[in-house]
Amino acid sequence: MDMTHSVQLAQLAFPDAVPSITMAHYLFVSAAMFVMGLIGFMTRKNMIIMFLCTELMFQAAGLALIAFGRHHLGADGQTFVIFVLCVAAAEAAMALALVVLLFRYRETLSSQAWKELNG
Amino acid sequence: MDTIISPIALYLICVLGAVGIGAALPRRNKASEIVGGLLIAASVGFGTLVLALRASEIEGGLPNFFFYPFAILALGASARMITHPRPVYSALYFILTIIASCGMYLLLSAEFMAFALVIIYAGAILITYLFVIMLATQAPSSASEEFIDETDAVSREPILAAGIGFVLLAILTTAMFRGIGDLPAPPDETLAQESVLVNLPRKVERLLEREGLITNTERLVRNEDGTAAIDVVNRTITLENTDLGTTRTLEADQWPETLTAGNLDRLGYNLMHDHPMTIEIAGIILLMAMLGATVLARKHIELEDDLKAAQARKLGESMNPEMKSVPETGNA
Repeated sequence: MDMTHSVQLAQLAFPDAVPSITMAHYLFVSAAMFVMGLIGFMTRKNMIIMFLCTELMFQAAGLALIAFGRHHLGADGQTFVIFVLCVAAAEAAMALALVVLLFRYRETLSSQAWKELNG
Repeated sequence: MDTIISPIALYLICVLGAVGIGAALPRRNKASEIVGGLLIAASVGFGTLVLALRASEIEGGLPNFFFYPFAILALGASARMITHPRPVYSALYFILTIIASCGMYLLLSAEFMAFALVIIYAGAILITYLFVIMLATQAPSSASEEFIDETDAVSREPILAAGIGFVLLAILTTAMFRGIGDLPAPPDETLAQESVLVNLPRKVERLLEREGLITNTERLVRNEDGTAAIDVVNRTITLENTDLGTTRTLEADQWPETLTAGNLDRLGYNLMHDHPMTIEIAGIILLMAMLGATVLARKHIELEDDLKAAQARKLGESMNPEMKSVPETGNA
């Protein structure tokens, strides 16, 4: 029984290949959200909105991870979304502390105020 | 492998979206925002229509109906988030994006992550953002409520950025829609779900006990590697009596209805069994972020002299409203 059992589990892990259009839907939404976050990061001058746009990119990555996790019916995708969430929380804490610090130096949120920082 | 979406339609969607976002990004000319919004709506609508038509050609290819409203809401809210000139509204539109993507998480049967995202992202992280926006925004110096700061009202190189972004989208989606057909098919859902039960013998024992199917002296037979002797394919469970040393098998018709591995069981098992080290690393990252934020926020700032003067003028102005206001100089 153990033998057949492990064979069947192995078959679960490597099924036959067929096209999947539902995945394409989720991946398209994820890619579009990521690109919008990228455009927002490039164009907006307000530092808080720039960091919000990075959160949007995290969110898009999370959606793709969950969609792939669902496709393979494993929990790995969701596990990695937990870690993405963790990194996003750490990033928010650091970024907001930095923004408050920069705001106290120049009394403005504009990233243009720091344009002499061009390496 | 036939393509999922025709390249002409895909690039048309990208061009429409790029022109729309480029026009809708904040600038002095307000009229272009409406045109941009219409173009974005056309792009999202056309994309949805093309994908839905293609999916309806394939047997069982259509996603759950609720996918479409959630996707349109998520994309529309994220477009409005990057184009809205006021930071508070941007943050609120981002919360809407998160809630819409939580809807999609539910459709992807990731229930725990959907609710965790609402609590952590929309509830905690975004409220912190809103708090900092309120904290770090100058009080409007002009009397008009419609006044928007120059920083927020004008974006930097909107057309160029939108062009670059949507070229990236076109490349990403081309690669995806050519290659996605080679993805393996999803395995049988119930089997894949319940195969984790093999690794959770104590949970199964507790559940069987609650259902009254086993007595106190009985336990699940463990294989050499510690997994339980459960055959999820044939739905049989092998039990042994620890007092008598005999074994018996619960047949498929005795398999209790409640014996399923839910989303949380699988997620928890995956997290603790397959990725234990990453939990430690995540803990270290969060600790370092906390320390870093504390160190950064503690720093005492010496304002430059002209800023000090500007602050003093502002204070004097608010104390004597009749006093003639001094025009403020730019800080850049």
